[in-house]
Amino acid sequence: MRILIVWSLLFCVTALKAADPKYPVSAIPEILKKDADVVKRMEEISFQIISTGETILHKKYALTILNENGDEYAGISEYYDKLITITSMEGTLYDASGKVLKRTKNKDISDLSAVNGNNLIDDSRMKSHHFYYREYPYTVEYEVEQKFSNTLFFPNWYPQEDEKYAVEQSSYTIICPADYSIRFRAFNYKGEPEVTMEKGKKKMRWNITSVPAIKLPFASPSWKEMTTVVYFAPSEFEIQGYKGNMSSWKDFGKFQASLNAGRDVLPANISETVNRLTAGVSDTREKIRILYNFLQKNTRYISIQLGIGGWQPFPATDVATKGYGDCKGLTNYMYSLLKAAGIKSNYTLVYAGSNKDVLIEDFPSNRFNHVILCVPLAKDSVWLECTSQTLPAGYMSDFTGNRKALMITEEGGVVVRTPQYGIKENTEIRAIKAKLDEDGNLNMSVKASYGGTEQDDVSSLINALSKEKVQKVLQKELELSTYDIQSFKYEETKEVLPKVDEQLEILVSKYATISGKRLFIMPNILNRGGVVLNDQKDRAFDYVYDNPFRQEDTYEIDLPEGYELESAPSEINLKSKFGTYTSSVKLVGHKITYKRVREHFAGRYAAKEGVALAEFFESVYRSDRSKMVFVKKTSNP
Amino acid sequence: MRLIPLVIFCTLTLPAFSQKESPFTKFGKISASTFATKVYAIDSGANAIVLSDIGSASLEGNSKGWFSLVTRKHKVVHILNKNGYDEANVEIHLYTNGSDEEKLDKVKAVTYNLENGKVVETSMEKSAVFKEKINKNRLVKKFTMPNVKEGSIIEYDYQVTSDFIGNLDPWLFQSTSSPTLWSEFVFSVPEFFSYNFLSRGFHGIDINERKDRTASFTVRQTQTASSTESFNFNAGVTDFRWVMKDVPELKTESFTSSIMNHISRMEFQLASKQYPLEVQNFRTSWTELTKGLLQNESFGSILNNSNNWLSDDIKPVYASVNSGEEKARRLYNYVRDNFSCTGKSGYIYMDQSLKNVLKTKKGTVAEINLLLTTMLRYSGLDATPVILSTTKHGYAIEYSPMTSSFDYVIVQLKDNGKVFYLDASDNLLGFNRLPLDCYNGHARVVNETADALVFSPDSLTESKTTLLIINNDENGKWKGRMSQTPGYYGSYDIREKVKDKGKEEFFKEVEKAFGLDIKILSPSIDSLKNYETPVALHYDVEFLTNGESTIYVNPMFGEGYKKNLFTAAERYYPVEMPYTMDETFVLSMEVPKGYEVDELPKQMIAKVDEEGSGLFEYRISNSQGRISFRCRIKFNRSLYLPEEYPNLREFFNMVVSKQSEQIVLKKKI
Repeated sequence: MRILIVWSLLFCVTALKAADPKYPVSAIPEILKKDADVVKRMEEISFQIISTGETILHKKYALTILNENGDEYAGISEYYDKLITITSMEGTLYDASGKVLKRTKNKDISDLSAVNGNNLIDDSRMKSHHFYYREYPYTVEYEVEQKFSNTLFFPNWYPQEDEKYAVEQSSYTIICPADYSIRFRAFNYKGEPEVTMEKGKKKMRWNITSVPAIKLPFASPSWKEMTTVVYFAPSEFEIQGYKGNMSSWKDFGKFQASLNAGRDVLPANISETVNRLTAGVSDTREKIRILYNFLQKNTRYISIQLGIGGWQPFPATDVATKGYGDCKGLTNYMYSLLKAAGIKSNYTLVYAGSNKDVLIEDFPSNRFNHVILCVPLAKDSVWLECTSQTLPAGYMSDFTGNRKALMITEEGGVVVRTPQYGIKENTEIRAIKAKLDEDGNLNMSVKASYGGTEQDDVSSLINALSKEKVQKVLQKELELSTYDIQSFKYEETKEVLPKVDEQLEILVSKYATISGKRLFIMPNILNRGGVVLNDQKDRAFDYVYDNPFRQEDTYEIDLPEGYELESAPSEINLKSKFGTYTSSVKLVGHKITYKRVREHFAGRYAAKEGVALAEFFESVYRSDRSKMVFVKKTSNP
Repeated sequence: MRLIPLVIFCTLTLPAFSQKESPFTKFGKISASTFATKVYAIDSGANAIVLSDIGSASLEGNSKGWFSLVTRKHKVVHILNKNGYDEANVEIHLYTNGSDEEKLDKVKAVTYNLENGKVVETSMEKSAVFKEKINKNRLVKKFTMPNVKEGSIIEYDYQVTSDFIGNLDPWLFQSTSSPTLWSEFVFSVPEFFSYNFLSRGFHGIDINERKDRTASFTVRQTQTASSTESFNFNAGVTDFRWVMKDVPELKTESFTSSIMNHISRMEFQLASKQYPLEVQNFRTSWTELTKGLLQNESFGSILNNSNNWLSDDIKPVYASVNSGEEKARRLYNYVRDNFSCTGKSGYIYMDQSLKNVLKTKKGTVAEINLLLTTMLRYSGLDATPVILSTTKHGYAIEYSPMTSSFDYVIVQLKDNGKVFYLDASDNLLGFNRLPLDCYNGHARVVNETADALVFSPDSLTESKTTLLIINNDENGKWKGRMSQTPGYYGSYDIREKVKDKGKEEFFKEVEKAFGLDIKILSPSIDSLKNYETPVALHYDVEFLTNGESTIYVNPMFGEGYKKNLFTAAERYYPVEMPYTMDETFVLSMEVPKGYEVDELPKQMIAKVDEEGSGLFEYRISNSQGRISFRCRIKFNRSLYLPEEYPNLREFFNMVVSKQSEQIVLKKKI
């Protein structure tokens, strides 16, 4: 009975406390509401390193959702697996005035599978909650605590989590044993963290206030250049009994090497196959090609990520007998095949995808999502993407190319650069011979050749789809109104610098507009680029372009008899730091010859160059869509 | 009227005996010769060929005092190239509700490869079957075949035992990824149960037979911890067997409401049980089906209660309103604006109580609309749930009363002789408006008489009118005023865009579509928040001209179609447009100062077919320095047969071409 009373007293206290309005929307400064869907009102993150094997993350934050577009941030989803436990999760909903409307109960929190769609299976699950409130603005407050039984990752601090997201206040505190060396790298953070000692523990705190929302511009630099971000990484760490140190790439590489150790043993029959396949071949490159081909024929990509399996490859024997593996398993298998043939190679960690500058060279941390293989040779290296069934040996597509990666060697990790392809390699050359009939229908033969990263898309199109489906895609994708692909042919040259040759026969119905006595035709049939960018004057961030290319188009169009030119676009010749562009039309007899050369440079341009940049792209846009006008000669004047 | 794909009832068809069996009835019948075919006649471009896919289902006594449904699947696939590897990944979805469950066992999987003329087998290890718990009710078991290469043949077999004898999944004879040479399903039905069968899709059944036999059944029931009662009896069993041979892969095409309308399959519904069980009929007629739903706790049982728990929340919503329609409107707006829809559940039943929906302010489509029904009734109005099948789910067949044919619930409201249909689950929809995918034919009112309804795309017309008036202002500048009323669903899209990006961004896009050298000024949108009616757009346009000697003007000003909607050269199944349409563009344009008309496009009228189901009008004239132009596209029906496709495509080709024609203006000399 006594206990009951105490409990109800406690309850009263909380209830009373809750009655005080918190987070009233009226308190948000106007400047934080501009361009914002969400305002983070407060955030206290505390990350405590108990030991190298255990950490606790405590987060408390409040978000005011200003409109419907902010709803996606209003919920909470936290992941857990064998190495992470969620010890508590609580939420409170407030109305605009700051009055408590609702508190979460345990049963409101759903426990769901979080298996990544790319994986056959992994062990991640998530706990999530959402209030589904609909009267704007409103505020949600969440408090969550997670325990990590590994120290491979330290949570980073991203106070501003997305565009259209303002921050009133956010802080991050890290607490660790006095002798533990915390490693961090801050971007756009003014000053230094506040360091204090408390009960023999070291405490460091970062805090920011009043950060207005950003609207993400196109061709933007990476997020860490635009807003405050602090990355954290361990020095000494531990995961499932494996220990390492991340203070240097060298040491981190050693850790990965220890995970891989002894996993390169091949079953006897596979070793024999390696010997048989490479017998009599003296050229190392040829041996690599043969074995890579063997890998592509006999394995496929299946991703299984369980526990330490997220970082440790399957043994080569497993991959050999099952015929499948993930990037780690397949790379380690290829490494083992090469080893059996006496060729040394290096397992290499990389962050794949469109974000190319994730690895910070002077701040070692575990920010990788993929593994590739590097085979160092006397002059250069041969790079292998072991999860691909179709890429040629030595080529890194835009998925893994042109970025820094961590190569694992016997001496530890070494930062290297994956191959970069420039304007000479990334090419698109196209020639069209076309005939226009009296009704404006265009019959054309297209011959195109794509190289380097310009062939990535077309290569995956023809390799990932059946012939019938390729035809369907072609029949849909071209920027022409009504047309029929009458035949198509692709030929791949699978070399270190791959090439795809394309041949198309297309009948375009009513390509030219015939209106009374006039004929209107756009001489640029298949390669219209450029873009119209308004309002570049107020741009705050640099422009970043990272994939250069060169395009060369030559089109010949035979016109029907009896037309004479009324108007034609004039020749254009643009040279700028963003790229070059020339286009011209010539009429000889009734044959139009159209020539276009466009070079797009990789580069970084200051925000103030926006007006010139927009002008360049708009000129390309206009010129690519300009028309020629012809008038029918009258027989009886 | 929509075409209903081939429907056959199998309960009474005559047995058509055939000797033919799949060459792979027994596990492991793979020899070197099975690998011989590299290109199959059925589809030379296939990535994989299903050589045999045999399923069976039977009812067996269980230890819970009832029967379990035991289904088996045995599949053999020849993988021809890398793009066929997906066939080697298998997922089996299992359901449990806490007491009853579905269980997977007897998984056997073998990959065969031909190496040096010999068949090499690789068996999958037991540990390779993974379990993913989606939530407390759903579980997925997954496995992937070992050692798969180009040219491999894979074979697997498994059994699922289910306590849900009323839920037998349809058997799909046709695959959407590979052609199938042999697909077979055998359903063994004991005489004390009867099931309805419904065959759907375009491909015919090659073997359709039944055999009678006697079998023994054992049903056990645990009474106490130590005693189990056991019942043994013999009963007649009928084995129904259906086979389809050489079924091509079902390929998707655009303008198709649902692939489920076309895929060849057999559906099953438990119809009744009889002696020696207690005789009971399950949903054999529409009225019985709706009666069942009205008593079902997960559907309508709450509708007839007094439901006083609603009082505090909703009485203020319609306080002091007398008109029934106005009351309904208030309640509809209240539910639409204050409740979040968590999505379509794919079935018509509720997963939580309506009290909980009211409390948490969220629910599935069915939950939200059943809550609205309950509220409307509480306020004294005549509201009834309606069940329908959305386009994605396929047509609900009139001859076959099955609740699984429906996946959506809306509300029918009758007031003062008027009938309204309401859907409060979408917060951009208005009173008496339904989402497009509800217009998919047959629907049923859930009342005693189970009234049939038809929601046809032909009953919807998207009317869009655009008016552009251009004049020379006092400075000789060319300026225009644009007014546009899109159709209701076009307006819905605009509301969504404005919600996502804001008005400013939206008009920036409008400006871009309008073409270069044009500026949009003082833009406005009417009725943006009045969800019952279409929106109206107004803005001024300013043309930036340079005094060229010849000006070419497209009188459609960016409003024309730029690409043929029908890209594919050929068509294999009907074109299903979501509505009929009527679009009119009107331009009245003063010839710019100092210019005269050199040439106007020619007028024309064209029809899709003799019936005139589609019409295109292009009228243009110039009189006293003013050009009047009118362009209209009209479609009276929404469904076109494959043989009409070439006409339709040519018609649109002509529309795009005509709409790109230009007016030529020359400077006066």
